[in-house]
Amino acid sequence: MRRMIASLTAAALLAAPMGVAAQELPSTPPPIPAPKPFKVPASETYVLENGMKVTLIPYGVVPKAVVSLQTYTGSINEGPDTWLAGLTLDMMREGAAGMTAAQIAQKAAEMGGGLAVNAGTTTSAVSINVLSDRTTDAIGLVADVAQRPGFPESELARVKANWNRRLAIALTQPGTLANAAVTRAYYGTDHPYGRVLPTPAQFGAYDAGKLKAWHAANFGAKRSHLYIAGRFDAATVKAAVEKAFGGWAAGPERALIPVNPKSGPQVLLLDRPGAPQSTINLVFPAPEAGSAGDIPTRVMNALLGGSFSSRITRNIRENKGYTYSPGSSVALLPTNAVWTFNADVTTAATGPSLTEVFKEIRELQATPPGDEEAAGMRQYMAGLFVIQNSTAGALVNTLATRDSLGLPRDWLENYVPATLAVTNAQISEAAKRLPLDKMTLVVVGDLKVITPQLQALPELKGVEFKTVTVP
Amino acid sequence: MAMKQWVTALALAGAAVPLGLVASPAAAQSAPAKLKVEMQYFTLPNGLRVVLAKDTLSPTVTVGVYYGIGFRIEPRERTGFAHLFEHLLFQGSKNAPKGVHISTISNAGGVLNGSTRYDFTNYFEVVPSNALERMLWLEADRMSAPVINDEVLKNQQGVVGNEVKVNVLNQPYSTWPWIDLPMLANTNWYNSHNFYGELKEIEAATVEDAKQFFDSFYKPSNAVLVVAGDIDYAATKAMVEKYYGWMPKAPPVKLPDISEPRQTAEKYRARTDKLAPKPGWAAGYHVPARGTPEWYAMGLIDQMLVKGQDSRLYRKLVAETGIAGEVGGGINFPLGNMFNYQGPMLWSFNFTHDANRSRDEIKAAVDAVIEDLRTRKVTPEELARARTKMRSSLYSTIDGTGRIGLIDLLAVYALFDNDPNKVNTLEDGFAKVTPELIQKTAQEYLRPTNRSIYVIDPGAAQPAAPAAQQGGK
Repeated sequence: MRRMIASLTAAALLAAPMGVAAQELPSTPPPIPAPKPFKVPASETYVLENGMKVTLIPYGVVPKAVVSLQTYTGSINEGPDTWLAGLTLDMMREGAAGMTAAQIAQKAAEMGGGLAVNAGTTTSAVSINVLSDRTTDAIGLVADVAQRPGFPESELARVKANWNRRLAIALTQPGTLANAAVTRAYYGTDHPYGRVLPTPAQFGAYDAGKLKAWHAANFGAKRSHLYIAGRFDAATVKAAVEKAFGGWAAGPERALIPVNPKSGPQVLLLDRPGAPQSTINLVFPAPEAGSAGDIPTRVMNALLGGSFSSRITRNIRENKGYTYSPGSSVALLPTNAVWTFNADVTTAATGPSLTEVFKEIRELQATPPGDEEAAGMRQYMAGLFVIQNSTAGALVNTLATRDSLGLPRDWLENYVPATLAVTNAQISEAAKRLPLDKMTLVVVGDLKVITPQLQALPELKGVEFKTVTVP
Repeated sequence: MAMKQWVTALALAGAAVPLGLVASPAAAQSAPAKLKVEMQYFTLPNGLRVVLAKDTLSPTVTVGVYYGIGFRIEPRERTGFAHLFEHLLFQGSKNAPKGVHISTISNAGGVLNGSTRYDFTNYFEVVPSNALERMLWLEADRMSAPVINDEVLKNQQGVVGNEVKVNVLNQPYSTWPWIDLPMLANTNWYNSHNFYGELKEIEAATVEDAKQFFDSFYKPSNAVLVVAGDIDYAATKAMVEKYYGWMPKAPPVKLPDISEPRQTAEKYRARTDKLAPKPGWAAGYHVPARGTPEWYAMGLIDQMLVKGQDSRLYRKLVAETGIAGEVGGGINFPLGNMFNYQGPMLWSFNFTHDANRSRDEIKAAVDAVIEDLRTRKVTPEELARARTKMRSSLYSTIDGTGRIGLIDLLAVYALFDNDPNKVNTLEDGFAKVTPELIQKTAQEYLRPTNRSIYVIDPGAAQPAAPAAQQGGK
């Protein structure tokens, strides 16, 4: 094929002449040269006198800014009062600093945002994403809601009814059932992580006094870190932060509870008669964030099940068509990490799907991946990091995750080189931390059809099948 | 719909990121900046429309190919076919056999996906910018010579069958309201069939069907190519000409009539969902034609009625009456936004509620909100707030992980309007909306006789009312 290559330096005109005389696509793919380096956006962190940390991340050109207050509390500090943190955070939007819920919502909307509250396991957030010229107002609103919630009794019954309705719906979703069962089995019911659902009587008894007391005991400057990312004037923002948060009481230090996961093997079954699919959750302990095994485990995960070109996905989706939605992931919490595989597979293919999953795990344990596949996965993880950290909101999440997990300040800068440095052997070593004889497995499905399939699996021989119910 | 989203969703909705945007410096507390997406637009002699948008935010590029074929237009005995075909296009092409396309992107450090919507099917990837030329070559190979045979068809019928099972058959509420509501509200088959597909029809598709579908709709003249991010305009244009310019010009696509008559009577349907524990209530209204002044007004009406906790329906249904815990809704909800479709469309909203709230009470509460907007002019303050929310939401659409929202907006304005620069005039369109136009639009489009109500009776909790029709399955 003879082609005229258009000059690459020609000024681009809107109607450039065709520089092509080919009749078909060149069959040889063009090369992929080395990627450009990725520079982690700069950020500045400082501490207020009361111990609250502040991180500013100037980023981008769109006139918007994210203001996110992350407080190190959540279900971890609930004791036996499951869902108390979630209900408390939700109620904080219902009135604060003398404002009604309607006034709060209207103020937020006038800034171009909506107030988002979220109670996690160890971190809870009050966040808003606004137009740049309203950044200082947004800081004030977040401060009011975080520091001075009113917990109006008049709204409580309604908000609790919403939670109950959400719970009822969640309990009809197989994914929710699987997650609740696996969490309970793995962490045990004596740890907040394992107590995923309250009883109706227990939840019904939470009153405004209880919410107020929990907020007072768990919210404060020392446990909090404010992140502001986007376009804003740093000097104006710093003054607004001091004014809004400088007077906040220091409050308690962060309190974590060590976990003591139950070692497998455990096999738990939930019956869903007539279900067209089985929902599978497979869990193993993983190396903690920042430990030597952390980054190799992430690369291993991408290769095994965590990416679209992973071995498990290519096998049970792209080759066999058993499932649409296979996936695996590493979840990192302070003091704890787990690797999870999940999939919704056609009922008749439940046993065969697990056979393939176990086979892929064993193969990776036995033999390090070849250079091409391993290099591809290292590059995938490095590239994904660049893609995921190119928005203000994502940068807030990444930095907040780094800080919450106690990772060093230069963790972002070191992530790409560390990922590219993982060896093929380390990938295989990481897979060895998924010992099949220690698995925790949950399957939600039509038990009369799938139990015989599971009994036929050699990996499950001799393991007691426990049929459980959720709640 | 092609695959699970591998790019982690952000916990913070739509953080502000400048993607291909130049905004006048927005120092804090200054006058609001106006958005301007910088771009180049040209059309190849074979009809392929190309949008290039350069930015310097991160060393990545986003490549999207949008074909002017959505799930409205699929063969009558083959519901779900447009979506099944989208899956087939990930299964290999002449110079990139099965698996190569996906592993090339992954190994370069990128992600990919595709989706099927009302009026387009898109395929996109986000990659480090060094991989741009390879991506253009891969997409050209897929545009010109996909490999579709019995083996990949059978495999993807299994995958798509599982997709329908996980999202519909094994889920409470299943097709409600996102498929049920358009099926009820529309009369033209193209707008009123189950576009996710009946399992038996998905399983009946043949390789011949796929070849015919490809020949009908997959051609340069029915496609838009968007490249956004870390690019050089001239070099990118040269690559596009090299890899796409050789493709012959095909006869234009013939699309059927998808118009809907003006609705003149309210419609109502109920069905029992055997997995749903709580009743559900949804309503949809036909909206003004895309791009008209009334359509801009409808966009602001959507902001005032259902977007955010300050919206009127939220205040009434959630905060004041406690009927619902949340209300979700919008134009082209939940599969898209008010910009990315071309044809008849609904503005809709839905919520679940407890069984002790009667449908009469619910309808009265909804009507109180809707009728107030139809009969009383909105205040300038409320209209300004709606515009602020719209601007902010537009920035968030354009912004976002991987520039996916940006390329979507550019692509649909190239595909449906042949003018991606219209993206830069959207704010002006909303600025022109007056309280009078809001009222006029509400009068015509929020008529009860332009409404379809679709309710769910919970299968586990109570039997359906005797009068209820069974629909949607």
